[in-house]
Amino acid sequence: IREARDYDHWRSCLSTNSGQIGVLPNHAPIATVIDIGILRIHLKDQWLTMALMGGFARINNNEIIVLVNDAEKDSDIDPQDAQQTLEIAKANLNKAEGKRQTIEANLALRRARTRVEAINVIS
Amino acid sequence: MFSLSKPILSPVRPTLPPVRCGSRELRERIKTVQTTQKITEAMKLISAARVRRAQEAVVSGRPFSSNLAAMLNDITQRLQNDDVSTPLTHARPVRTVALVVVTADRGLCGGFNKSVIRKALVRIEELEKLNLGCVVISVGKKGNSFFTHSINKKHPFVKVDSFIEIGGFPTAKEAQVIADDVFSLFVSEEVDKVELVYAKFVSLVRFEPVIQNLLPLGEVCDVKDEIFRLSSKEGKLAVERDVVKLKKEGEMCFPLMEFEQDPVMILDAMLPLYLNSQVLRGLQESMASELAARMVAMSNATDNAVDLSKRLSVEYNRERQAKITGELLEIVAGAEALAEND
Repeated sequence: IREARDYDHWRSCLSTNSGQIGVLPNHAPIATVIDIGILRIHLKDQWLTMALMGGFARINNNEIIVLVNDAEKDSDIDPQDAQQTLEIAKANLNKAEGKRQTIEANLALRRARTRVEAINVIS
Repeated sequence: MFSLSKPILSPVRPTLPPVRCGSRELRERIKTVQTTQKITEAMKLISAARVRRAQEAVVSGRPFSSNLAAMLNDITQRLQNDDVSTPLTHARPVRTVALVVVTADRGLCGGFNKSVIRKALVRIEELEKLNLGCVVISVGKKGNSFFTHSINKKHPFVKVDSFIEIGGFPTAKEAQVIADDVFSLFVSEEVDKVELVYAKFVSLVRFEPVIQNLLPLGEVCDVKDEIFRLSSKEGKLAVERDVVKLKKEGEMCFPLMEFEQDPVMILDAMLPLYLNSQVLRGLQESMASELAARMVAMSNATDNAVDLSKRLSVEYNRERQAKITGELLEIVAGAEALAEND
């Protein structure tokens, strides 16, 4: 569970199923699905970037609660390992046979790409 | 002038079965037992420390479960008017049941593994009588080896879907692997019901194999999170189990909360999280039960080693005394013989 709370100086970006959304102070209360993507939090003149692997988020009362299956900070991700995983995932997608394998390979590819993007975010 | 009567020794009845080996072997045996005692005592202390870590794992997972349950309750209340159904909550006639059996990776924990496996076997036999199919997902090395070698002889209809090894403290990743497996089996309608067989942690000296229904997901009621606390009571390790009713964090919710997507999509996203947390909870309880069982087993083994060491020492000393007494008797008899000749 990740909580970001600072009423005056915070912002964040979430990847949802219907596109990215930005959250500023006094945002309207919403509940949303979190897609596999990047979470960025701006707090005290610093950006924190995380790769999320799908879940749910709730914005209420200047408070964001994000529940995900798995999350990784950009500083925790090894660049070479992430790049290698991405190449492997691409190769597996090309080899995938059948609907189920294709879906699984696609999912693995999206996860690997998200981890690479988390490292290479321009900020 | 020596006494002319010879000393008469009354035979001493042995209070223990006689030890049929020499002094040297007996001494080595005592050393071996003492070494084993050190090992079992160390294992007992290690298990006690790891039980505490298992407790911390459960406690650290509570905020996630708390928030998830509150949100699920809130959203399902909002959707009460709509007839919303998602794949994971769809109940259909049961023809095949999947059992997720959670065992340990190592032994030396008393009857832990055997009791969990027996619980699973009883369930399998029940399903067999009901003419239902059974699929097993085995977690842990002990269960894996059992279901690999033994199950097909007695219950050929049981199909073992997969073997999963965790090898350490369970985390969300391991729970995700199991939840994904269960999810795909259920959604593809290969099975119609999923049950989790694991050892529920009751106290430091007791665990209970239980069967918990995983899928289809029922109504998420108020979450009562029973946690166990390891404490020192009168110098001994004790455990207290509290029933903590998690506060509803959704009570401050604005009535006009918007849904970014269709409510069905939101439920689709939340329920796998819930399934994952249920599986993780089972794994954590199983780990705590295993460690507590190992702690008890190693404690008993240590006590047995102490008793055995004492008993062997008594036998060893008795044998040494018997030897010395024999030598003394020979000397005295020789002296008396010489005295008669004078």
